[in-house]
Amino acid sequence: MIDQDTISPSNLRQALAARARPNVAVVAGGTDILVRLHDRVDRPWPKLLVLDGIKALGKITLHDDFVSIGPLITFSEIEISPIIKKYAPQLAQAATVAGSVQIRNRATIGGNIANASPAGDLIPPLYVLGVTLELSSARAKRLVSIEKFFVGPGKTILKSNELITAIRIPKIKSIGFFLRLGTRQALAISKVSVAAALRLKNGRISDAKIALGAVAPTVIRAGFAEEFLRGNRLDIALIHRAAETAASEARPIDDIRSIAAYRKEMVAVLMKRGLMKILESM
Amino acid sequence: MKLRFRLNGKFIALEIPGAERLIDLLRERLDLVGTKEGCGKGECGACTVLLDGKPVCSCLILAAQVAGREIVTIEGVAADKRYAQILNAFEETGAVQCGYCSPGMIVSTAALLEKDRHPSNEEIKRALAGNLCRCTGYSKIIEAVSRASELMAQDQK
Repeated sequence: MIDQDTISPSNLRQALAARARPNVAVVAGGTDILVRLHDRVDRPWPKLLVLDGIKALGKITLHDDFVSIGPLITFSEIEISPIIKKYAPQLAQAATVAGSVQIRNRATIGGNIANASPAGDLIPPLYVLGVTLELSSARAKRLVSIEKFFVGPGKTILKSNELITAIRIPKIKSIGFFLRLGTRQALAISKVSVAAALRLKNGRISDAKIALGAVAPTVIRAGFAEEFLRGNRLDIALIHRAAETAASEARPIDDIRSIAAYRKEMVAVLMKRGLMKILESM
Repeated sequence: MKLRFRLNGKFIALEIPGAERLIDLLRERLDLVGTKEGCGKGECGACTVLLDGKPVCSCLILAAQVAGREIVTIEGVAADKRYAQILNAFEETGAVQCGYCSPGMIVSTAALLEKDRHPSNEEIKRALAGNLCRCTGYSKIIEAVSRASELMAQDQK
């Protein structure tokens, strides 16, 4: 079904063939791209590749070592998925607090990744979960670590003939959190966000991953804070040191949503808030 | 393109330009002007409709994306006896001032009460967080949703 402005393929093969054509923009849920098109004055629009009809991209499947999430899975579907709750609680938390009911019912995980906002709420959880993206073109398929995918705000290594066809979450059980701050709870884009995944062994932190959102051109890992945590017992002194370290790793800017100094300070606040909750639950 | 979908309980088929938004199809082509456009960016919820029973912003969906699916607009909700008490409750509590947000508020309320017959105030706030009102404030609207749930419960007895 092809007409002047939209292409609505019914399977992945057709979609990848259409993706290889020039001046094609991909529409998953549409909650970001329709806003951009609404604001645009330089019409004509690109040809819109509508993925809605491709059932294979809207499934969550269990494999031996990983959970595979289809790029068309919506925030609402992530919120209620028992599989995601089990293997990726941080991701479920992020999907629950982002947007509004209306947005969560349409916005997709693939769209949130491809849009590549440094403030994209699902991205910090994907960093700490060690996610691998499956990128497909009509000719080939490649696997890329989520951290290698982003180049800058709105910029990724996705080629113009590729689609994100799966999000692979390793089946590693960890405890963690996702916390964010925005002007209001609903709908506001995050001013700052923090995700964490910790693994504990005999009361010590055997592994720690921390990711910070909206404080750099892409989501970043807080490597020094992770070092501080690794191998140690979680206590209040450690939490404070790790929180301050994470704040020092943030490289935020002043923009319409917030100022750099506030963002940096709030990284420490969110770190403390999240880690204290883990400590209290131990 | 040829588009077929279910709208307020009826199957319809029509020819549309591919890149048209759902809200433009509803308002301009089908004269269903109960659905309002506020911001056009998914922030205000005035354009809320139900897509397969779930509230979505009709300004952020292409008409092409509803092919084969079911859309219910405020006109469909207003004509549905199951939801009559929602309209009564909004009237009774004075939860309407200029009325521009009301269609979206009522559609979101219908989706909430369909899922949860006795929502708490917190649940109501969360369900309506995507609908903005710039005149009455939210107290009366939240009250209206609570009242609607009571009236619907009474009806069932």
